[in-house]
Amino acid sequence: MRVYGGRVHRWTRWPLRITASVAALLLFDQAVYAGQFLAGTFPALHTHRENATFAGIAVLVAGAAAALVRWPGRGPVWPLFAFLGLFGLIAAQIALGFLRILALHIPLGVLIILGGLLLAAWSWRYRPAGEPS
Amino acid sequence: MSLSRRRLLGGLSAIGAASVAGIQILSGVRGSSSTGELLPSRRALPEPFTLPFRVPPVLSPVRSDATGDHYRVTQRAATAEILPGVRTPIWGYEGQFPGPTIRSVRGRRTVVTHRNELPVPVVVHLHGGHTPATEDGFPTDLLYPAGWTGAHEPMDGVMTHGSRDYAYPMAQPSATLWYHDHRMDFTGPAVWRGLAGFHLITDPAEASLALPSGDRDLPIMIADRSFDADGSLLYPSLDPTLLHTPGVREPYGSGVLGDVILVNGVPWPITEVPAARHRLRLLNASNARRYRLALDPPAPLVQIGADNGLLESPIRHDAIEIAPAQRFDVVVDFGRFRPGDVVTLRNEFGDRTTTPVMRFRVRPADGPDPSRIPDRPAAAPAPAGPVAVTRDLRFRHGTVNGMPGWTINGEPFDPGRAVAAPRLGDTEIWRLSSDFHHPIHLHLASFRVLSRGIAGPGAYDHGPKDTIDLRPAEQASILVRFTDHPGRYVFHCHNLEHEDMGMMGVFAVR
Ligand SMILES: [Cu+2]
Repeated sequence: MRVYGGRVHRWTRWPLRITASVAALLLFDQAVYAGQFLAGTFPALHTHRENATFAGIAVLVAGAAAALVRWPGRGPVWPLFAFLGLFGLIAAQIALGFLRILALHIPLGVLIILGGLLLAAWSWRYRPAGEPS
Repeated sequence: MSLSRRRLLGGLSAIGAASVAGIQILSGVRGSSSTGELLPSRRALPEPFTLPFRVPPVLSPVRSDATGDHYRVTQRAATAEILPGVRTPIWGYEGQFPGPTIRSVRGRRTVVTHRNELPVPVVVHLHGGHTPATEDGFPTDLLYPAGWTGAHEPMDGVMTHGSRDYAYPMAQPSATLWYHDHRMDFTGPAVWRGLAGFHLITDPAEASLALPSGDRDLPIMIADRSFDADGSLLYPSLDPTLLHTPGVREPYGSGVLGDVILVNGVPWPITEVPAARHRLRLLNASNARRYRLALDPPAPLVQIGADNGLLESPIRHDAIEIAPAQRFDVVVDFGRFRPGDVVTLRNEFGDRTTTPVMRFRVRPADGPDPSRIPDRPAAAPAPAGPVAVTRDLRFRHGTVNGMPGWTINGEPFDPGRAVAAPRLGDTEIWRLSSDFHHPIHLHLASFRVLSRGIAGPGAYDHGPKDTIDLRPAEQASILVRFTDHPGRYVFHCHNLEHEDMGMMGVFAVR
C-alpha cells in the first residue's frame, strides 16, 4: 500500500462520509419517487424532477468533500474523479428523462444509484494510511 | 492459476457482461410507437400508390325542414373491393366503408335515422359531438336488428328494434367529427369490419377564413387492417359472431395492428392534386396504431384545427403524431411543388408496409389559389371558471373478470357505476396517468390540455380536444368543462381492444 507522507488530517473523512451518504440517499430516492409516479401518484413526477437537482448538487458537494480527503487529507484522489464522473452521468440522466428515452433512463438510473451507494460505502470503510483499522 | 491470469479473465468477463447488457439496452432503446401486436396478412398485398384515392360520398338529407336536416342510414353487411379483384365482406353504414360523410351546418339540428340490418345489435356514437345523453350512443343503449330473435342481454340500457333516430343539436363549433359503432365489448371488431364514417360540422360564418374548400377539402381516414388468405378482414375475435364472448385471443389483448394502411378504405392510394393549398382532415380511425405523419419531400403541415374545432392560431409542424380517434386539420400547400412532382404522406412510426400512407402527384393549378391560412382561425376560448374538482384517473393493465384486461383506477367498465359525477356547468381538472399508450377520449365535453409530464402541453395537444394521446408511463392534466347536457356518458381508452376489455368509465353529469 502506498504510504502518504506528512500529517494525516483524519477529520477529512467525516465531511465525505456525511455528504456521500446524503448523496446516496437522495439518489436512491429517485427510484422511490419514480415508483410512486408509476403507481399513479400524480405529484411524484414533479418530486422526481426536483429531487434530481438536489441529488446532483449533493453529488457535487460530496465531490468537494472528496477533494478535502486528498487535500489536505493526503488520501487518494480517485474518489474526487468518481464523484465528478457520477455528476456527469446525472446530467446525462436528466436529459434522458426530459427526452423520455426511458429505455436508457432506467438502466442508467440503476447504475448511478449503484455508484452512489458504492462510493458512500467506501467512505465509511476508508482508513487513512497508518491508522489501525 | 496465476494472479495476473485471473485478473485477465475477470476483466474479460466484466467486458463480456457489460457488452451483453449494453446490447440488450440498445436493442430496445426506441421502445414502441404503438401498444399492440402486429397481425400479419395471409395473402399478397398490392403495391403502394397504385390504387386511386377517393373521398367518401356525401350523404344527402332525405328531408330538410324547420326541425332540421334528416338523414337515413342503413347498417348492413356488404362486400367491398378493397384489394384489387377481391371481394371483402364488410359491415358498413349504407354498406360502405368508410360510411358516407354527413355534413351538418352549425346550429342546424341533424337527425340521422339508423336502421340495423346487421346480425348483431349496434350503437352509434358521434365522436366529438356535444350530444344529449340519450342520443350519444351509450354502450348499452342497443339498437337490435329488426326481427331479432336472439337473446336480449340484460344490460342497463335503452333497447330499440329495427331503427331509431339519433338527433344532434349541432350547437357546437365547426369540427371534423366521425361516427362509429360503440357497442359494449364489441366496438373493436365492429369498427374493424367497417362501421366508421366522417361527420363534418361546417360554419357558414367561417367562409371569410378562405380555407381551402370544395375538392380541396379532403377528409382522410387512416386505418390499418389485415387480410386473410381469402381476402376477408382478419381479426382475432374469440367469438367471430360478435354476440357472446368479448375479447381477442392472445397476444392481441394489447391492441390489434394491421399491416395494410387504408386511406378512406383504399390501400396506400394515389391522387392528383392541383398545385394549390389543400385542407387535409386527418383522422386516425385505427384500432390501436399511432402514426407520425410527414410529407416526403418535406413540407410543412400547418395545423388549423384539432379534434373539436379550429385553433386560435395555426401551428406549423414538420410531422404530426396522431393517436387513434384523434383528428388534425392541416393545410398543405402543394403550390410549393412543381407540376409532376410526387409527394408522399409517410408514417415515420411505420415499418416495411406501414410506412407508406398515400401519395399525391402535383398537376398544374387551374387558376389562382383563392385560399389562405388565416392568422386566427378561431376566437380564443372563454376563460375557464374556477376549478370545482380535481380528479386522478389511472389507466392501467389489470385483471378483468379473472382475465388480463384494462382498468381505470383499478376497475373495469361497469355501465351502472359512475366514476365521476360532475355538476352541469362545472370546470374540472382531470389528472390522467398511463402504463402503456392509451388515447383517452371523453364523450360530451371538449377539453384543453394543461400539462403533459412535467411541462406544458405537447406539440400535438393544442386547441379544443376530445382525445389525448397518453404515452407509456406518462401523465397529463386536462381542463374539462361539463357543459351543454346533463346525463350519463362514458370516457374511455380509444385503443379499441383496451376499450372492449374494460378500459371505460361512466361519468354522470348532474
Ligand atoms: Cu388503452
